[in-house]
Amino acid sequence: MIDVNVTKTLQGSIGEMELDVALSIKEHEFVAIAGQSGSGKTTLLRVLAGLENANGTIKVSNEIWLDATNSLATQKRGIGFVFQDYALFANMSVEENLLYVQKDRQLASHLLELTGLGELRKRLPNTLSGGQKQRVSLCRAFMKRPKLLLMDEPLSALDPSMRSKLQHDILALHKEFGTTTIMVSHDPSEIYRLASRVVMLNQGKIVQDGSPKDVLLKTQGSQKFSLTGELLEIIKADIINIAIVAIGQQIVEIVLDEEEASTFVEGEMVHVSTKAFAPSLSHL
Amino acid sequence: MNHIKAVVTKIETIDYLSVVSFEADNQPLRMMALGLNVPIEVGSKVTLGAKATNIALAKNLSGMISMSNQLNCVVEKLNKGSLLCSVKLSFNDSILESITTLASALEMDIEVGDKIVALIKASELSVLELES
Repeated sequence: MIDVNVTKTLQGSIGEMELDVALSIKEHEFVAIAGQSGSGKTTLLRVLAGLENANGTIKVSNEIWLDATNSLATQKRGIGFVFQDYALFANMSVEENLLYVQKDRQLASHLLELTGLGELRKRLPNTLSGGQKQRVSLCRAFMKRPKLLLMDEPLSALDPSMRSKLQHDILALHKEFGTTTIMVSHDPSEIYRLASRVVMLNQGKIVQDGSPKDVLLKTQGSQKFSLTGELLEIIKADIINIAIVAIGQQIVEIVLDEEEASTFVEGEMVHVSTKAFAPSLSHL
Repeated sequence: MNHIKAVVTKIETIDYLSVVSFEADNQPLRMMALGLNVPIEVGSKVTLGAKATNIALAKNLSGMISMSNQLNCVVEKLNKGSLLCSVKLSFNDSILESITTLASALEMDIEVGDKIVALIKASELSVLELES
C-alpha cells in the first residue's frame, strides 16, 4: 500500500495554488493521474519521486519516504521513472544505458528481448526512432525492479501506432514485474487501455477518483455520447434550423427545432449529446 | 427538444443495459439506456426528452407496432414549409413537436384538431432531468 498525504504551494499561471493530495494506492495497481495542464499532476509525480520537496507524509509498504523530519533520497526510493523526453545518455549504447542503472546483463537482455529491442542493443540513442528511444527508457526504468513505476506522459511525443505498441509493452512489464504504476496522462484512450483507476486533479486537488469509464465518460442526463464544442452558426433551412458546431478539429451539424434554436447564441460553448444508440461507426 | 414529465414505474437492468418504464398522465412509456448515471428509482419524477425529428405520427393506428411509446395527442398547430412540416401536438398539459416531411403530412391529411398518436422508439427517448 502506498499512502500519500502531501501539500505544497505552487506558482500557477493564475497566482499561487495549493497542491493538497491524500491518496491510497494498492500494490500492483495502475493509476492514471489526469487533469488540465497546471493542475499539479507532474509536481505530484516529482514529489513521489523525491525530485521535489513537499509537506506531509509518503509511506510505501512499511517504509517512510517522507515525513516531518526526513525525506528519503530519490535513489533510495526503489522507483523507476519514465519521462516524456526519454532522458537517455547520448554517448552510451542502448545496453549501456540499461547497465548504467544496474549491472545485471541477464535482466537487461531479458527486457530488451521482451520489448523487441534485442538487435538494437549496440546502437546509440540518436540512431533510434522516438518509439525505440522510449522503449529503451522504459526498459531502463525496470532495471532496478522498481516497486513503484512513475511515468510522466510517456507516450505524448509518439505517433498513434507507436503509442499502441508501447502501451502493450508498458502493460506487459507492469504485469511481469508486479509493479505499482502511476502515470500522468491526459489522453483518454491511453488511460482507458492502461489504467484501472483514474485520479483527476484540478487546481491541485483531487476532484474525481474512480474507474476510467466512470471518470472519463462524458454524459448529459442519460445520454452517453457527449462532446463539448463551440456553436459557430445557426442556419435556417425550411422550417428547421441547423447548428454548426466545432468539436476539436472537426465541424458537425445538429438539427434544432425553432424553439431550441432561439435559446442559443452563436459563439457560446455547447454540449453535443445523443443516446449511445443513435451514432453509427464505419471504417476509416 | 420535446420535454415530457413522467414518473419512473419500473427499472430492469442486465449488465450495463437497462429498460426503464415510466408513466406520463396515465400513458406508459419505455426507454432503453446504457448504464444509469442519473440516480433514478421507482417513483422518481423525471423530464424525458425526445427530438422533434425522432417523433413519428400515426392516424387511425391499428395492428402491432414495435414502437414502445405511443402517446395520444391532439394536433394544435401546423407549420408547413416547402419540404418539411412541423406539427405541434397537445399531450395533456404539454406541447410536443414532430417534424415530418411535408409529403407525409399531406398524405395523412393532418389538420388542426385531429386525434393523432405520437410514436417514439425506446432508444430515442432519454432522461434529461431528475426532479428533486
